[in-house]
Amino acid sequence: MTTNPPEASLRPFGKPSVRWRLAVLALGAVVAAGIVAWVVQLRGGMGVAGYNDHAFWAIYIADVITFIGVSYGGAVVSAILRLTGATWRAPLTRLAEGTAVVTVLIGSALIIPHIGNPILLWELLARPNLSAPVFWDFVAVMTYTFASIVFFALPLVPDMAALHGGHAKQLGRGRTLLYAVISKGWVGAPKQRRVLAGALGLVSIMIIPLAVSVHSVLAWAFATTSRPWWHESIWAPQFVVAALYSGVALVILVVAGFRRGYHLEGLINERHFVRLGFILATFSAGYLYFTFADLLPGSYVGEPGVGAMFTKLLVGDLAAWFWLFAIAGGVLPLLLVAMPWTRNIKGMVLAATLIVPMMWLKRMLMVTGPASYDTITGAFGSYNFTWVPITITLAALAAIPLLLMLLFRVVPLMSIDEIEEIQEIEEIEGIIKEEKAGTAASRGGSSEAADDDARLVGATGGSHRIAGATGVLLLVALLGMLGVGGAAPADAATSQGPGAITIKAVEAGGSVQLSAMLFDSGGLPLGDQPVVFAFATKQFGPKEGLVSLGSVKTDPTGTAKLTYKPTVVQESQKFVVSYAATADAKPVTAETSIKVTSAQSAYRPGPPKPLAGAGKILVVALFAIVASIWLTLGAQVVRVRRVCRPVRKAATSNA
Amino acid sequence: MQSHTPSPDEGPAGPPPGAAPTEGPGLSRRNLLATLGVAATGGALALVSYRDEAQAATKPKAGPVPKKAQHAWCMVIDLRMCDGCKICTTSCQTRHSLREEQTWIKVYDMEDSTGGTFPMPRPCMMCENPPCMYVCPVGATLRTDEGLVLVDTDSCVGSRACMAACPYEARYFNWTEPLPAKKMPMPNTPQMPVAKKGTVGKCVLCADRLPQGELPACVQGCPMGVLYIGDLVTDVAVNSFGKTVLLSEFLKANDAVRFKEEQGTNPRVYYILGHGQDLGGEA
Repeated sequence: MTTNPPEASLRPFGKPSVRWRLAVLALGAVVAAGIVAWVVQLRGGMGVAGYNDHAFWAIYIADVITFIGVSYGGAVVSAILRLTGATWRAPLTRLAEGTAVVTVLIGSALIIPHIGNPILLWELLARPNLSAPVFWDFVAVMTYTFASIVFFALPLVPDMAALHGGHAKQLGRGRTLLYAVISKGWVGAPKQRRVLAGALGLVSIMIIPLAVSVHSVLAWAFATTSRPWWHESIWAPQFVVAALYSGVALVILVVAGFRRGYHLEGLINERHFVRLGFILATFSAGYLYFTFADLLPGSYVGEPGVGAMFTKLLVGDLAAWFWLFAIAGGVLPLLLVAMPWTRNIKGMVLAATLIVPMMWLKRMLMVTGPASYDTITGAFGSYNFTWVPITITLAALAAIPLLLMLLFRVVPLMSIDEIEEIQEIEEIEGIIKEEKAGTAASRGGSSEAADDDARLVGATGGSHRIAGATGVLLLVALLGMLGVGGAAPADAATSQGPGAITIKAVEAGGSVQLSAMLFDSGGLPLGDQPVVFAFATKQFGPKEGLVSLGSVKTDPTGTAKLTYKPTVVQESQKFVVSYAATADAKPVTAETSIKVTSAQSAYRPGPPKPLAGAGKILVVALFAIVASIWLTLGAQVVRVRRVCRPVRKAATSNA
Repeated sequence: MQSHTPSPDEGPAGPPPGAAPTEGPGLSRRNLLATLGVAATGGALALVSYRDEAQAATKPKAGPVPKKAQHAWCMVIDLRMCDGCKICTTSCQTRHSLREEQTWIKVYDMEDSTGGTFPMPRPCMMCENPPCMYVCPVGATLRTDEGLVLVDTDSCVGSRACMAACPYEARYFNWTEPLPAKKMPMPNTPQMPVAKKGTVGKCVLCADRLPQGELPACVQGCPMGVLYIGDLVTDVAVNSFGKTVLLSEFLKANDAVRFKEEQGTNPRVYYILGHGQDLGGEA
């Protein structure tokens, strides 16, 4: 048992134990099996993973959400605790940040089996569609990954400097070289410390809105569709809380594992677990509340889609799984923290062990339920588990400890510098306290924050939706109306059969005036009879089709008129008029063809999509925000490197 | 010559406002490229898209001033005549070499409010605001200026975001190796796609046939004349019987409706409701 952070950090660098080798071998075998399963899926198509048209999203996207979600533990334990000055975090930060980096990388990699045609994944960078939530998912995940790596890497500089000097034997050649490069020029000068603290403060402020953005955009990939239970405004915040919840749980598991494996009991004790447990309880209560708030309104109103979905979820064939989550993933962990006799390391580890798989289960329900709902028939399809996705999921799970074990073979397990800094502060505070011992001694968490940067105010996050409502000018189409001659009283002549019909077409002012004359067999005009006008089209095939323009009654002079607005400019447009005295009589027809020189499309576009313009402004704003985040993060790395430079020059000139 | 019997005193000319929604001069939307071009990255961003308006399917980029569309393809489905024989589905599957479960035009047994059922064919609705197009992360779904929503399977990454977004369940994925093409091999175009494993497929309204004046496979195959292919620009629609109608008047006279109007998708498929009844209309 040790309380010396450098010594603890060097411990994984020694000759690996048999247990370590066996563990790596076993975990490596599971990961290899996952890769085999993925190759099988690539060859056979996603059908071998149990997907079908009525379960188009399922296990892999649930895995992506779960793995990227658990990486939030790093953000919480490190960033929030750093910003709130919780000094007890110090021995946990490196493990938490390492877990964050490893899990976000695995989570991003799980997008690959989720995609049907992964060979084209580069298109997300090369030819993205900026109106797609999935593209912004990708941007958010990449930005968050970059921030996680920066947040993980910056504190390595002083730690590696601390180990580099004087531990060459334990480090070995490879690590000595690596540490020399990374910590080059770091001497721990006050200016260097100030710059590093400033950079870390800024990154820890930035990483919080970034973490929020990732799970929000993931949720919006679902919520921006019209499917029941996905199309919910609460999904984004609910996703964020879910991620924080499962993230803290995974940190507990990782810390417990490394504490046991490398005997870090002297540095990490029950106090740490219980405090993490309190954070867990907060998120547990929060997530239960969000779940209730998510389900209540839809269940209450009972619209067909949401009603069917929630019936299946709460009392139908998914009910067993849902209530298993609610009890084992929400209520039990809360109780384990709440009850004093389970509020210990074992209790917290048990709670975390329940939470991680149960949160995966919840995501699985949230993804697969609505994805299997047919919005036309209201029936549910089903996702069929096969060995392929299960193996890939287990491989991703095994990759967490595997990558962490390998990672901490290379980088120090403890944030040595941070621990020592906090110890110094606590010692100084202890001295101050002793000096003031005349007054009543106060016990308890009095540790002031290490001066983590209140002066740095992050300019990050928050995107503004500019909801500029645009006025739409509506024009009403003016219809050319034709006055139809009032029918004169019928005279005896109407009883005579039709003799002839004539048609005349004249183009004038963008429309065609059609007029027909109807005569009876005696050559007299035939009034009050319906004649049918039509035009001919060859648009759908070489065979001419006659398109009826409607029937018009003739006036007492035997004339019928109709105005037609042509839709196509044509060399020769044929018009036909016909008249049949009775339904089964042979009609008399007449036709004429004229040249149509002006035409107007009959198509009237529908109203534009609401807020389409605002969407574009949002996209431009988002790009500006993302670019500034990347630049700021990169600048922090440069800043820390630069502050090391003058010292390095001085050192080399001395040598 | 078909008889056409709207009330005789009604002026038949002009597009009725009931058939096509109120006219609006399309807001002068500028391409996002223009905005971003200011950001001095022009060339590199040439492939970036913001899918909210029509694209030319054949060329990667439309010209600076898009020519006014010559056609606006649409479909009319006269449910009064439909007996649910599903020949439309099989005709489509034969033409596009689809599996049995890949029903680009699917005949649903819909339930009416009295407990009865009626058959309802559902092709792609060719929405004017297609949700599937907005959500495609790589812009593989596009909308031609003639209003056809098509998929470029050479770009499709298989994210299935479109399947999630489509309110009409009209998209089908190639979960396994697709069936070999039955017809002679053709180059893969959005208009006549060649199915590929891991990409999505959907009804294309037989876009390769329309310019030739040929009918889509489903329309041609329908033995009842239920399906009409139409053009909102020329205001003409035709079914397998060769019955040619003045589209706007036909829709108005028969109280045509669109499916899931509340989704705001502006679908270009019109349904004439009814189930074999003689309503004294066109039928």
